[in-house]
Amino acid sequence: MSDVTEAARVPAAAPDLEKNAPAGTESGPVGKPRSLWSDAWHDLRRNPLFVVSAILIFFLLVMAAWPGLFTSVSPRHGDLSTHYLKSPEYGHLFSPEWLGYDAQGRSIYARVVYGARASVIVGVAVTLLVTVLGGLFGMVAGYFGGWLDSILSRILDTFAGVPFLLGAMVVLNTFDVRTVWIVVLALAFLGWTQIARVTRGSVITTKQADYVQAAKALGAGTGRILLRHILPNAVAPVIVVATIALGGYIAAEASLSYLGIGLSEPTVSWGIDVSAGKDQLRNAPHVLLAPAVMVSITVLAFIMLGDAVRNALDPKLR
Amino acid sequence: MRGARSAKWVAGAIVVAMAATACGGDSGDDKKSASGKPEGYVSIEVGEPQNAPLPSDTNESNGSYIVKALFTQLLEFDDKGEIVYLNAESVETEDSKTWTVKLKDGWTFHNGEKVTAQSYVDTWNFAANVKNNQKNSFWFSDIKGYEDVHPEKGDPKAEEMSGLKVVDDLTFTVELSEPVPYFEYKLGYTTWAPLPSVAFDDPKKFGEKPIGNGPYKFEKWNHNKLFQVAKYDKYKGEDSAKNEGIQFKNYSTPEAAYQELLSGNVDMVRQIGAKDLPKYKQDLGDRAIEQPYAAVQSIVPAFYSKPFKDVDPKVLQGLSMAIDRETIAKTVMNGTREAATSFTPPQVQGNQDLDIPSLKFDAKKAKELVEEGGGVPGNKIWIQFNADGGHKEWVTAVCENIRQNTGVECIPDSKPDFQTDLDLRDANKVKGMYRGGWVADYPLNVNFMRELYHSKAEANSGRFNNKEIDALMEKGDHAKTLEESIKLYQEAEQVMAEEMPAFPIFNYKINAGYGEDVENVNVDWHGDLVVSEVTTK
Repeated sequence: MSDVTEAARVPAAAPDLEKNAPAGTESGPVGKPRSLWSDAWHDLRRNPLFVVSAILIFFLLVMAAWPGLFTSVSPRHGDLSTHYLKSPEYGHLFSPEWLGYDAQGRSIYARVVYGARASVIVGVAVTLLVTVLGGLFGMVAGYFGGWLDSILSRILDTFAGVPFLLGAMVVLNTFDVRTVWIVVLALAFLGWTQIARVTRGSVITTKQADYVQAAKALGAGTGRILLRHILPNAVAPVIVVATIALGGYIAAEASLSYLGIGLSEPTVSWGIDVSAGKDQLRNAPHVLLAPAVMVSITVLAFIMLGDAVRNALDPKLR
Repeated sequence: MRGARSAKWVAGAIVVAMAATACGGDSGDDKKSASGKPEGYVSIEVGEPQNAPLPSDTNESNGSYIVKALFTQLLEFDDKGEIVYLNAESVETEDSKTWTVKLKDGWTFHNGEKVTAQSYVDTWNFAANVKNNQKNSFWFSDIKGYEDVHPEKGDPKAEEMSGLKVVDDLTFTVELSEPVPYFEYKLGYTTWAPLPSVAFDDPKKFGEKPIGNGPYKFEKWNHNKLFQVAKYDKYKGEDSAKNEGIQFKNYSTPEAAYQELLSGNVDMVRQIGAKDLPKYKQDLGDRAIEQPYAAVQSIVPAFYSKPFKDVDPKVLQGLSMAIDRETIAKTVMNGTREAATSFTPPQVQGNQDLDIPSLKFDAKKAKELVEEGGGVPGNKIWIQFNADGGHKEWVTAVCENIRQNTGVECIPDSKPDFQTDLDLRDANKVKGMYRGGWVADYPLNVNFMRELYHSKAEANSGRFNNKEIDALMEKGDHAKTLEESIKLYQEAEQVMAEEMPAFPIFNYKINAGYGEDVENVNVDWHGDLVVSEVTTK
């Protein structure tokens, strides 16, 4: 065990850190031992990629939670007689006319602000659902192995065989009114396989570790082993995959909404606005610009965050 | 993990790929139009017809352009909706039940056969017969004996309708099962045009190389590319061809056709695509066409749905009053529509400016009326529309008007295509309101009321049911003269203005354009370009 503590201090020397680090958390009175998590946090704070993405995401979350802080105008309020396709006033920062008006006479700035909610909810909720469901599934399959694993893996393969976007289109097409939660369920229904696979693999590696064998030998119950020993040690790669996928789910929602089978009116969504903006591309390109830029920034922010987290948690990539 | 990441990028890539194929469509068409055009011919963008261009089997806009060139029916209408006789010398009646048709002498089919009273009687019997499965057969259902040749079930009991009688070579009589004062007007539809006797031997083979009595004769048909007709020199009608022939060219999208128009590869485009609408007047100058025609766009309450089941007409008046039709037409529709002022378009006889408040925008009064009438159950309505028809923008705007001005939540209810939309209407499954467009079959106000709001009419999908209006319309149907009939229908329209079986929103306009090589391009009351009058420079 003592060499493990050493390894935590000098991570580059311990290729198998992921497996053994928690042991360091438990023991390690010598000096200032750092767990995998505190080590990762130490790393992240110094990573500009993380800092930038964290600031962006912070703003997005605030925007999604309290859009009223950013604008006083309703995103649905259209005034055709005076505001139809009015050009942006880029000088008037954060005022309703800042980014111009769309073909319904609605403030594009207000729509961009309110559109954040749908994107963030879809991204976060799908990720949570997928992580919980896929994680449980993968853990059960990975830990118990044997015939149970065989059956579960085949189920997993079946779901994984469905093309993600096409599957989502088919599922969503059966709904008349598509709220945020229906889109969330549809995406989660098709997206959980990836997490399940990663968890299964990670659990299989972890369960062969010495400390798990030791806990078994000491007579720990299955529940205790799974929760106290396997879960904390197997979760790192799952978190990485989930964070990176989050950006992907936001992009998927925007794509589906663009195609007219994602969120439906009157939900405000960037994808819907991009789709409406494409018709005006020749005479009023500003309608398309703002929501498209927001989708890009958001997806980019989450993918950057995922990259940073992966770098911090996976020493092999340093 | 890396694999996972690349899988997600597909989400973006698919959208890009779709956009890329949309552009690809344009370049594909360039080659097609490179084919030469004979001297003196004009070309127009018209899609591949749904089926062979037989007058009685064509009810869509591509085929009807071709049918119009190849065939000529008894009569037609001018811009004011007045009758102009073509193949008929006269159509007369005394009791609106028995009609006598006299044909002009000297007319021939393109194969030399004479156009006689017998040609008409045979053609109509052919078209009505259930065995021949012609799409427009119901148009002949006023004629006595129609039930015998077209029973609802089973084989026909007769081969000929008893109401049709040949008097001499150029005269025949039509007896109807009940008087219809406006029957003559129905005859203006191309579906009543005659076929030569060779057509009945093998209609399918005939349809591939049709022979008609119209201003143009068939020349060639390259399926999905081109349909070409040449001037028929022995044509006797006043609407004879002013050019040597027509090429009907197919394009995948209106946008593609428009590009071809700009580069001079096609002379006329019937419809400017949505993307080009804002700019086409600048591009084409005085070669841009924008002209109203006889069609009305409405939103129609489903009177069986929850919000409108026992609705007070005041609520309907209020909702309709909340819509700022003029601004929406000007902005969202780019001026391609005109605000409606009645249930009928201005091009039909009997159209009246109703001058009623419910069709005029008044936000304050609208809210008062909705409240007075007790509002809408659930305070929420839906407007169903088909997403493939370019309706989303104006339906959204109408909804926003209603929401802002009356406080009733209004949600645009998008259905993927027209077929789905229609199926839901037929199955009484509309949640609140639906969008309904109606183009005139004949230029009478009757056509915009009898077919839509009579409780037993087939197209009354809102299931509107008002005994007073029904009675007025039925009285109009059995009136002695056409004038009286039109007047009774106008009375019915006045009652409708109170009951609001639908909210008329716009009158349609055609947005078309033509190239530098042609002139004299006009539009008929129906919204079609009059190709036979076009001349080359």
